[in-house]
Amino acid sequence: MTAVRSARPRGSGTFDPDALRELLAASFEVSAGEPRVVAHTVLDTFDRRLDRADLRLELVAEAGTERLELTRSGQVVANVLTGPWPRWPAMAAALPDGPLKDHVAPLSGIRALLVVGEERRLVRRAELRNTDGKIVVRLDVDDAGLVLVRPLRGYQKEADRAWRLVTTLLEPVTATRAASPAPKSAVDPGAPARTLLAAELTGFLDELRDNLPGTIADIDTEFLHDVRVAVRRTRSLLKLGRPALPAHFRQVWEPQFKWLGDRTSAVRDLDVYQLGLPEMAGWLVAADPADLEPFEAHLAHRRAAERRRLTRALRGVRLRRLLDDWAAELAELGGSARPVDGAWSAGALAHATIAKAHRRVVRGGTAISDASPPEDLHLLRKRCKELRYAMEMFAPVLGAARLRDAIKDLKSLQDVLGRFQDSEVQWTTLRTFAHDMVADREAAQALLAMGELTAHLHAEQQRARTEFAGVFAAYVRPASRLRMERLLGDDGRAAG
Amino acid sequence: MKTYATYNIKGGVGKTSTAVNLAYLSAASGRRTLLWDLDPQGAATYLFRVKPRVRGGSRGLVSGRRPVDDAVKATDFDNLDLLPADFSYRNMDLDLDDAKRRTRRLDDLLSGMAGDYDVAFLDCPPGVSLVSENVLRAADVLLVPLIPTPLSLRTYTQLVGFVADAPRPRPAVIAFFSMADRRKRLHREVIGSVPHDDGARIAETVIPSMTLVEQMAERRAPVPVFAPTARVSRCYQELWAEITGGKAG
Repeated sequence: MTAVRSARPRGSGTFDPDALRELLAASFEVSAGEPRVVAHTVLDTFDRRLDRADLRLELVAEAGTERLELTRSGQVVANVLTGPWPRWPAMAAALPDGPLKDHVAPLSGIRALLVVGEERRLVRRAELRNTDGKIVVRLDVDDAGLVLVRPLRGYQKEADRAWRLVTTLLEPVTATRAASPAPKSAVDPGAPARTLLAAELTGFLDELRDNLPGTIADIDTEFLHDVRVAVRRTRSLLKLGRPALPAHFRQVWEPQFKWLGDRTSAVRDLDVYQLGLPEMAGWLVAADPADLEPFEAHLAHRRAAERRRLTRALRGVRLRRLLDDWAAELAELGGSARPVDGAWSAGALAHATIAKAHRRVVRGGTAISDASPPEDLHLLRKRCKELRYAMEMFAPVLGAARLRDAIKDLKSLQDVLGRFQDSEVQWTTLRTFAHDMVADREAAQALLAMGELTAHLHAEQQRARTEFAGVFAAYVRPASRLRMERLLGDDGRAAG
Repeated sequence: MKTYATYNIKGGVGKTSTAVNLAYLSAASGRRTLLWDLDPQGAATYLFRVKPRVRGGSRGLVSGRRPVDDAVKATDFDNLDLLPADFSYRNMDLDLDDAKRRTRRLDDLLSGMAGDYDVAFLDCPPGVSLVSENVLRAADVLLVPLIPTPLSLRTYTQLVGFVADAPRPRPAVIAFFSMADRRKRLHREVIGSVPHDDGARIAETVIPSMTLVEQMAERRAPVPVFAPTARVSRCYQELWAEITGGKAG
């Protein structure tokens, strides 16, 4: 079945609906409804997961009815013709059961569906019928003269005929998809490092600002996560870029962003627990998943309290001033970047930073033995993150393919350290929660079930620890080191 | 894909009306629904204003020479497609007899469209035949309309026996009273005395005998389309909810 096709008046010409009707009436029985306003409310996740999957989810309101429609290239993939609808933003779980929900939920995942666009069009719907009075083609004609030809299954010939007639008066519209974000453009390794740093830091600031309203409104947990990522990357770049940044950045801005990062930690930790609870419930052997309900309630209670604190900080004067001053500082930093003697170039900074971060990872990993305390593995994880950020941040200076391979090598090491550290943190906090819950006289079943979870986490931590030596050995193997050397360029400077 | 078949050994009991109205309600709830009009008389096909013609006929479909999804036609209603009847379906028994997997052929053909639809309805011709054996194999649920008369109940007993003798997997059987006239003493007595312990389920919902159902042929549309608030429309909605337990597909 072919997709919906559309046509519009040629050039700056006007559209004559009567001429079109007359033309179509020679082949079909044409019935056209009265023009009516059709309101489209476009729904997607904040990061446009449906759009990236080539899907469009809309609540279409017309003539006193509303329907939820999921389309691809104008063709209906699934729809629900009767409400009630959730209040937006809403998680896909709140959609009515059925194929539309089955399509959307796996794509939207933990992100809420929110209104990302609204449009109202005056549309006249027409039906083309055959001699049996059967609808064989549907047409939508809007006030701008855009005509959509909607084929019906089994009536393609009729749709083709209608299309030929429509395009004798109008010109076909070629579908254009919104361009995907352009990859970061390459930066000359000889360019001033400050230019690159200012551009990267400004990107993180935009990301941070974009995600603040959703975090404050608690639309979904990913808003806060993305705020934290932007803050973490900012902090890393401030640290990695110290040699090239003005001296006061370290004294003024590093503590400011540490303050902001610290404000967000408690809620994020609780989010991780809440999101992980269904999986954790699956670990239980002796206890029943329902035994965890008091724990879930405890988390929700704690989260509500921590969110109040977070919201106060995010709405406060300190953050507003921080962001405004930071934006001004970055504008100045970008403007002040000049290629002058003695100043760091982007290539030199990339090389120095990545080489140093890589040395720290290799040194830290080599020093780890079976007797090393968990803190040492945690420190190594932080060093790996710094190396990862450094490689990603200096991407415009480095070769894309070489960067991809180097990141892939590092990722396996990060994964095993992540599993170790997450299990350690969850194990520790679970015990803290248990103490709190004892004080609150919670049910013994919940504590017993939590005991099972700590046992599972402990076992997972041990597994990760056992795997570490092999994964690290693979990371420092000659082939992997060679890739890192190639990334940094044969002449000891970052490859352009 | 969940497959429902409206079936009864006896003719004129409301199989087509049930298939058309329930398929429409399934589609209106957002489920991609296919109705296969297996009856060579083509009443369901007529109701949807589709020509009762399938290229290659019964033999072409059954033999696999003609792809079954090429024969599918959209109806005038969102989410609802029709696999039309063809007069050659009168010979479908013979065509099935010549086919490999002769009692599973319809199931095989439907399975090929499982990705396109959430719900399929089979509107079956009356009688006991190789087509009926195929239907028992293909359907998850057999919907059996019963006119509340002793003779109709007798045929129902035969049908339950026919299903019980069929090889596994067998469909669930949900019977319901159709074309019931509460003014008739006999109808009231039969509905009141129906046995519930024969291994099959009798739905609580009763579809009344109403002229609106007869008007479907004149209006060429499901009842909820032209009389959405009528009692019989509500009855079909209740029946659909009862059959699906509130969840179809």
